[in-house]
Amino acid sequence: MEHLQVTDLHVEFGGLRAVDGLSFDVKQGEILCLLGPNGAGKSTTLDLICGKTQPTGGSIRVNGVEVSRLLEFRRARLGIGRKFQVPSVYKELTVVENLSVARSRRPGIWHALTRLSLRPSKDVDNILELVGLTEKSQDLAGNLSHGETQWLEIAMLLAQDSRLILMDEPTAGMTIQETQRTAEIFRSLSGSHTLIVVEHDMSFVRNVADRIIVMNRGTKLAEGSIAEIETNEDVKTAYLGH
Amino acid sequence: MNSRFYYDLIALAVFCAVIFLGVPALMSYDGFELNTFARYLSLAIVSMALALSWGTAGLLNLGQAATFGMGAYAMAMHLKLKVSDGLPDFMGWNNVEKLPLVWVPFESLSFTLLAGLLVPAAVGGLIAIFMFRARIAGVFVAVITLAFLVAFQLLVIEQQGFTGGQNGLTGLAPLTLAGWTVDTYSVSFYYLVAGCLTVALALGVYISHSKFGLILRAIREDADRTRFFGYNVATYQTVIFCVSAALAGWAGMLYTLVLEFASPTYMGVSFSLAIVIWCAVGGRESVLAAAVGAIIVNLLEGRLSDVFVEGWHMLLGIVFVLVVMFMPRGIYGVIVDVVRRLNEARRGGRQDSAEDALLPATIQTNRER
Repeated sequence: MEHLQVTDLHVEFGGLRAVDGLSFDVKQGEILCLLGPNGAGKSTTLDLICGKTQPTGGSIRVNGVEVSRLLEFRRARLGIGRKFQVPSVYKELTVVENLSVARSRRPGIWHALTRLSLRPSKDVDNILELVGLTEKSQDLAGNLSHGETQWLEIAMLLAQDSRLILMDEPTAGMTIQETQRTAEIFRSLSGSHTLIVVEHDMSFVRNVADRIIVMNRGTKLAEGSIAEIETNEDVKTAYLGH
Repeated sequence: MNSRFYYDLIALAVFCAVIFLGVPALMSYDGFELNTFARYLSLAIVSMALALSWGTAGLLNLGQAATFGMGAYAMAMHLKLKVSDGLPDFMGWNNVEKLPLVWVPFESLSFTLLAGLLVPAAVGGLIAIFMFRARIAGVFVAVITLAFLVAFQLLVIEQQGFTGGQNGLTGLAPLTLAGWTVDTYSVSFYYLVAGCLTVALALGVYISHSKFGLILRAIREDADRTRFFGYNVATYQTVIFCVSAALAGWAGMLYTLVLEFASPTYMGVSFSLAIVIWCAVGGRESVLAAAVGAIIVNLLEGRLSDVFVEGWHMLLGIVFVLVVMFMPRGIYGVIVDVVRRLNEARRGGRQDSAEDALLPATIQTNRER
């Protein structure tokens, strides 16, 4: 079944067509990697899906529901989660508090008013264990290293438990071991979760991707498995600039 | 239980012990002195109310005095009607011959108490809806609320026939609460105000430690990020704005009781800024600290103006400048830093001893091998 359907998506920033007639589908439980040179419109595409940017044309459907005119929080409630390129965690909150904010299955006021902020939770403990932040659970997020901050934001997305997760360069700044660990976590998520990942690290992409879309200048240049992409002439031209 | 919640509950208990037992004993149960202190306690409520919106959610409301004034006037209107025979005296002087419709329901005490809470909450909520739906944030919130405050004070002064204008509402009857005529120079009145402050603080501490409070802190730091987790940021901001306004109205009602009159100066810019200063001195991140800040600054102001009749404003100004420069998070920030350092020192010590304890065990397992 199609989880996400993007049809003829357009957005312009002062004359620049950042995304120009992009169409693609993502199946339930699939990991789709978005590749492309800088400025190809990969991050913008994620912005359009999660609502950070409003499209100038086209349609975005999640489980058949048109979301392109909805506010961000409504899209999040429909199960769209986003990890940003620059890790955005709450630096003035502790690690567990960050996860508690991210656990937003019931985001209403009344639920929030009738709960204490930090009830012990098995789920949070498991997630902390998974990303190796158990020891630092009481530290302020602002005191974490760059790699740990990346892990924290991934942990927050796990806690949010969105069905459709948009990851913007999740392994930037990670060591090789950490990158492998991230790949393992992503593989374990696939099936139950649908992931769209923007990534430059090709070995990581080889590890996780079910399918790849290469973008260039706001349009889809190529689509297929890793082997198909690596032998595609258009892709070579776009990257090497011939 | 979460340790920070635990600390806050202990601090609240200590604070209550001080204001319920310590202060009256220190003032040898003198009605006049306690009346002065009751004034500080009512101001502590409006200061903690600001801490909720400013400290927790990052919304600097410079119009806090407007909602405070609404509560003050609600109470004063009730007490004025109690003392006058049908038509309040000042209305006669202003050629108002019939009691205005808005005044009529204030005959009832229950209506007055409700209005003193709900009118500020409704007005605050209305402003909040317009601001936060449009995603107005930061300094613009301060500008808009300040503009509202100035306009509202002007309106109250202009409508002399309804509000007593520049003179405010004076010559009020004492409040009769369920058959008890409140003597504002009595120990029991002091306890009433102290009780109100305790309830307000307990509410504030609960909100700060609820998930609601946590989401507000998240919004303060990064409203956009919080939207992507599915929270309706505007609703959260509007609700805390309403709660803060209602608490300010409550404080206003008590303030009218203490001073026995209501004046448009309660809605002045300088009073509104004073609230911000109390909150900043105490520490805006904690409702308790903001309340303590209000008490300390007002106490200081009272004492300084006794000793330095001319120069006390200057001295107070210097104190504020020093606070802003050297303790930007207020007294609360200093305490938190000290506690954190003590904890780190203790934790460091404990880790060393834990490693020592582990050592023999490791040696033992090695031997078994």
